[in-house]
Amino acid sequence: MNGPHDMGGMHGFGPIVREENEPVFHEAWERTVYTIQRAIRARGLINIDESRHGIERMPPAEYLAASYYERWLASLERNLVEKGVITREELEARTVLLRDHPETPAPEREDPELVALMQEPPSGQELYQRDGTTARFSAGQRVITRNVHPTGHTRLPRYVRGKRGTVHAVRGGFVFPDTHAHGQGEQPQPMYTVCFEGEELWGPSSEPRERVYVDLWEPYLEPDGA
Amino acid sequence: MSGNHGNGHHRHDESSASLRARALESLLIEKGLTSSDLVDKVISAYEQDVGPKNGAKVVARAWADPAYKARLLADGSSAVEELGFGGALIAVVENTPTVHNLVVCTLCSCYPSALLGLPPTWYKSFAYRSRAVIEPRAVLREFGLDLDESVEVRVWDSSSELRYLVLPERPAGTENLSEEELAELVTRDAMIGVAKVQAPVAAR
Amino acid sequence: MTMQPDRQIADMGGASSLPRKNGELVFDAAWEARVFGMTISMHERSLFAWDEFRSELIEEIAEADRAGSDSTYYERWLEAFEHLLVEKGLLSHEELAARLADFESGRRDDAF
Repeated sequence: MNGPHDMGGMHGFGPIVREENEPVFHEAWERTVYTIQRAIRARGLINIDESRHGIERMPPAEYLAASYYERWLASLERNLVEKGVITREELEARTVLLRDHPETPAPEREDPELVALMQEPPSGQELYQRDGTTARFSAGQRVITRNVHPTGHTRLPRYVRGKRGTVHAVRGGFVFPDTHAHGQGEQPQPMYTVCFEGEELWGPSSEPRERVYVDLWEPYLEPDGA
Repeated sequence: MSGNHGNGHHRHDESSASLRARALESLLIEKGLTSSDLVDKVISAYEQDVGPKNGAKVVARAWADPAYKARLLADGSSAVEELGFGGALIAVVENTPTVHNLVVCTLCSCYPSALLGLPPTWYKSFAYRSRAVIEPRAVLREFGLDLDESVEVRVWDSSSELRYLVLPERPAGTENLSEEELAELVTRDAMIGVAKVQAPVAAR
Repeated sequence: MTMQPDRQIADMGGASSLPRKNGELVFDAAWEARVFGMTISMHERSLFAWDEFRSELIEEIAEADRAGSDSTYYERWLEAFEHLLVEKGLLSHEELAARLADFESGRRDDAF
């Protein structure tokens, strides 16, 4: 979707601010959100594409005002409710309870299996590489990205739509985010790293000698006949 | 050595905090509350904690071993798995005198966590995500890296599960360093592409 | 088996977060690492709960900030740690003072 998250090339965000001590988490709750996210992924309750799309669907003004972990939290809330794991009412009721009675003890539960699962490095399955696809394009081939504006999840950034590029590398089959985020299955597609000249993307004001490489799935691409 | 000479015989320029720390440690060990072994173990464990150390090892091995470097550039995932860092899809891009690489994720904040730990806040910032693809040279200047116009800048937008790691140039004057010593020089920022690796002070 | 860092320590947030640069822990002097190690080693031995130390640390940082002190993170850590040790009856002020005097005078020069 053409959401607030798709920010390659946007202006106005100012200088890149670096923190003195770079804490991993600024508040304890951030670490809680991080851990919940990992546990949910380990259990396969929500996949990464659904997670991302949950963030993308934040109203733009909220997205831009939210911190990194606030965005994850918003996505978790949205996805867990949509999947029926919790209800909106339950979430509201519990939030009010904790706000009004902060001394309420947190429930405790041990789950060593889940802990072990979370500590394992992800397998190939988790990493979304899939066999069995046949690549249409080859390295060095000229392609043009489609000028499409899906309302659902996609990994084709706006700044590279309708642009001419060259296939830099053929990466093999990958789970297709555009379907996987919507419960339409993995539908693996060949994926490519495509190289775009800076001037093709940004026009005459582009910086000298710049190239941008983007990972793109085959359905995003057409052969460039020109 | 005779008795009370006030601030006589401690190490030259030793700060009062350092003295207090030594006094404290000596008392704690004496009372059996800790041991110097355990203190060493703790320091080591926390310094080696998940973070850029993994990536640094990969870079140092590539610098020291040309055959490994070739494997790394051809198939990053398999090559990093050789060093024990499995569970990641990695593509390594090499900096040279004529090509400088920079990694970003404009759509969210994908990052090679298996090799670099958790990303710094600036990497996840809107400013970095929006500007790295449209004005990489300006971004690098903000980080103190001013590249000549003749150097090609390649920006890698991590839009898939493939994660990019920059193989920085090996600094001059490091020919005699061991792999461990080389790894010490490699910073997270250099492996993202916003910095170059500095030679150790003595060599500069 | 190698010791694994305790996440509640390594990932402390807010004012108490461990100083880092480029993702790595920063110690500006060797004594800072020693103090860090001492505190955590005693926690590893269950001599106190981490939150007990952490609340001392947060309080010490807040006090130092209120006083406009330019003391460093680990100087504040050291204060907080000594405070905790005395509070828990593990050390006394007198013992600390006496041992410090030994080191200052050169009567003792233990290296770790």
